Amino acid sequence: MLSIAIGLFAGIAVLALYKGMMKSRVRTAIDAEVGHLQLHDRNFKKDYSPEFVITNGDKILNLITSLPEIKMAAPRSITNGMLATATGSAGVQINGVFPDLEYEASQLKKKIIEGNEFDSTKKNEIMIGKKLATKMKLKTGSKLVLTFTDTSGNMVAGAFRVAAVYQSDNGPLDERNVYVTLNDLNDLLNTGNAFHEIVVLLKNDEDIKIVQQKLKQVCPLLTIETWKEISPETDLLVNTTNQYSYIIMIIIMFALAFGIINTMLMAILERTREIGMMVALGTNKLKIFLLVLLETFFLTLAGTPIGILTGWLLTRYYNIHGLNLSGMGREMMSSFGFNAMIYPEFPADKLTGVLLIVIVTALLSCLFPAIKALKMQPVEALRR
Amino acid sequence: MNTVIDAHNISKVYNPKTIPVYAVNNVHLHLERGEFTALVGPSGSGKTTLLNMIGGLDKPDEGNIYINGLDITKLSPNQLIDFRLKNIGFVFQSFNLIPVLTAKENVEFIMQLQKKNKEEREMRVQTLFKEIGLEDKLNERPSKLSGGQQQRVAVARALASKPQFVLADEPTANLDSTSASNLLDIMAKLNKEENITFLFSTHDQRVIDRARRVVTLVDGRIVKDTATVSTKHEDEGILK
Repeated sequence: MLSIAIGLFAGIAVLALYKGMMKSRVRTAIDAEVGHLQLHDRNFKKDYSPEFVITNGDKILNLITSLPEIKMAAPRSITNGMLATATGSAGVQINGVFPDLEYEASQLKKKIIEGNEFDSTKKNEIMIGKKLATKMKLKTGSKLVLTFTDTSGNMVAGAFRVAAVYQSDNGPLDERNVYVTLNDLNDLLNTGNAFHEIVVLLKNDEDIKIVQQKLKQVCPLLTIETWKEISPETDLLVNTTNQYSYIIMIIIMFALAFGIINTMLMAILERTREIGMMVALGTNKLKIFLLVLLETFFLTLAGTPIGILTGWLLTRYYNIHGLNLSGMGREMMSSFGFNAMIYPEFPADKLTGVLLIVIVTALLSCLFPAIKALKMQPVEALRR
Repeated sequence: MNTVIDAHNISKVYNPKTIPVYAVNNVHLHLERGEFTALVGPSGSGKTTLLNMIGGLDKPDEGNIYINGLDITKLSPNQLIDFRLKNIGFVFQSFNLIPVLTAKENVEFIMQLQKKNKEEREMRVQTLFKEIGLEDKLNERPSKLSGGQQQRVAVARALASKPQFVLADEPTANLDSTSASNLLDIMAKLNKEENITFLFSTHDQRVIDRARRVVTLVDGRIVKDTATVSTKHEDEGILK
């Protein structure tokens, strides 16, 4: 019974942890990285050429924000360029943003770990990720130069001062993305008030397909992608982790099977005389087989609520208080795009599957002890 | 009288290919209905092996055993299980009651295997517990009963299925004198009143004294088979 409870508890704990991690990863991807939807000019993503701005961007932006499902939409000017300091250089994606909108769209303000938010009175301020700052030995107040091509293909460069260093849950993104104000970037790109990207956040995750369809109808010339299309690695990670969690569950069940076999074998060995006596008195083999089977089934039945309850309680506790995995290495977690604080979630959707696996495992595991019981000779058994 | 047990030249040999040891050697035993027989002999003389073979728990290597004319040595293991259920009652030396069941449930167990209805079971249980004098212990678990009481329940269980005969392997071995005496009184009474055939294996002189027939085994062979009547209990009118 205890092994059933422990097996179920371990299975639920693993699934809850995975569910929490995946949910956190998806939330990070949507709320802090790519949003629910992004709109671009059809040619923009081919090589991020700055001339492919969203035509009638303001009009489209207004149209999007007027939709009832939309929580907010933020424009971005984007180009790829070179960040250079006196000691070295690195390739970066330069995001020109409206600070107030971006603070909400990608929670940029919350990610600041050093320095201050953009100062509207100052020009050419830049926010860089911690990983890039470490690599380029930059800190707040440091000067750097961004070099890229403008819409006419001319090389342009601008000197920027680091206003803040930010850190998100995604190390690789922090290393690649820098943020400047949209006006500063557009001045250099020579794109006026235009922008290359609109990032859209929805009120409900479930509305994503509906809104995508709506936007495709009103903006037929733009590419409208969901977070799954923009960040396929996240979607892949979620799907494969789902499958992995079942594999891990099966491994746990394999261990559980040994526990059940051991328990039932012990139960049978301890009761050799009793079983021998039952056979001697006239209990047929089918009944002995059913006895072991039913005993296992009832043990499973008794262990199941204990396993589910303890699994639920643990999950509930960590769902409220969070499970801090920074001990495992925040850097390592963020290199995979995960927050070090995980909020495991009870896998109610997978409970039926888990229960089925547990019951099947328990019943399969008791076959060996049951066969052992069947092979028992009453004379031998009674002698013990 | 009619024949219940007829064992013809039965032998049981261990290690037949290396050093053969005859646990039972060419034994012929014939029991009529209503006999109260003790199988005696020193340890290792083959008493239990003979009882096991007559009870269909073990098969002889040679010979045949007829129970009410049916050769049980020809039955398959499954047929033997069914045969035991319908025809034989067992009393074991160490009681072997199911510890998680009450005294009543232990006795009912056999009848449930026989698919007897609840009413029938209830009636039989009441009768048997009255016979063994444990009407007030119906709902006690074996652990709450004394050794003597447990063995009486075991006798009730053996009789619950209304068997052709009862095989008892050293039934008094684990009992004190009073309990042993009580048990023997009960079995003798059942033998007399219900004409149930009893065959015991025993070392116990008290049992031997009460038996009407004593079969002595030595080294797997019957060396003496004599019908004796316990004068002591004959006087008390228990056995006759």
